[in-house]
Amino acid sequence: MHELSICQALLRQVTQVAEGRGAGVVESITIEVGPLCGVEPALLATAFGILRAGGCAAQAALVIEETGVTVGCTSCGAQSQAAPNRLTCAACGGFRTRIVAGDELRLRRVELRAPESASVA
Amino acid sequence: MCETCGCAITPEIDYAHSDENVLIEVLQDLLAANDKVAAHNREHFDRHGVLAINLMSSPGAGKTALLEATIMALRDRYRIAVIEGDLETDNDAVRIRAHGVPAIQITTGAACHLDANLVHRALHDLPLAGLDLLFIENVGNLVCPASFDLGQHRNVTLLSATEGDDKPAKYPVIFRASDLVVLSKADLLEVLGDFDPLRAAAALQALGRDTPMIRTAARRVPDIDSWLNWLEVQLGAWRPSAHRPRSMIAASVGG
Repeated sequence: MHELSICQALLRQVTQVAEGRGAGVVESITIEVGPLCGVEPALLATAFGILRAGGCAAQAALVIEETGVTVGCTSCGAQSQAAPNRLTCAACGGFRTRIVAGDELRLRRVELRAPESASVA
Repeated sequence: MCETCGCAITPEIDYAHSDENVLIEVLQDLLAANDKVAAHNREHFDRHGVLAINLMSSPGAGKTALLEATIMALRDRYRIAVIEGDLETDNDAVRIRAHGVPAIQITTGAACHLDANLVHRALHDLPLAGLDLLFIENVGNLVCPASFDLGQHRNVTLLSATEGDDKPAKYPVIFRASDLVVLSKADLLEVLGDFDPLRAAAALQALGRDTPMIRTAARRVPDIDSWLNWLEVQLGAWRPSAHRPRSMIAASVGG
């Protein structure tokens, strides 16, 4: 369950962004999670539900954008979709590829509540 | 602006949302803080000319036994130390110390992996200046350790003959991140009869890195020559400037 550690890192980053803008309330957090990043989105969502309490993201929604896997062949240069455990080149069958997409584990954006609406609420 | 990959988005750009909330594009890796400490660890290793190897596997694959045999074979030629990661007990560190090399135990408690901070703390108890080779024996686990760069130069994953030969297909992230896969307990292959090394090699090759796989046996009649040869090559080829620049997953992608 390293998703708890990852979620703590996420909340630290979000808190930094919110504090840097002088915002008190985070409305939503969007992250990108690829199948090859080693993190299970459902477990991350569970961890978020537990860890968000008490901070600026206590009521925030977590939006998880799951990406697909794309590999680029180092032999023929072709790019192809791939399964996480089948990362060879679909065009030439080459056994050496690089990951073009699919290993993301990124905080993409944070939505902060506008100061006036925060004061009304 | 490309909505698919964010290619035209500059980090930290604000723009107004319809209800006047503020959207901030961050585009930061969630493991950025860990990776920063890992880079710091790597600088420590580089400065002292220490080759750091992260040893991973499921529990019971024989990491400690392989290290014991390795130390016995190499301790007269290289100065070796070990960082041991376990949830509880310092049993493995005691086993290593019995061979006369320093071993630092990191007890992770409930945590299923080592991270760069835990390793950094352990480094302060190690005589780095007097070392050639540092093994970091990660917590036995084929999932969580794959996500955390520790500052190592090489990743090695053990796959023992008592496990399934389809492990690389089941745990693609950790096996793809590996620079070498060690088929351990290979002396049991014949006894067990159900582990097909060719099938394991095919599953490994399907991960798109053409990672080498070697066989070892560390007990009864030890046979670790191919492993020792690999280590010698790494020690010979390794230069401080050749370190992996980013997190282990990101680095393995280009490697």
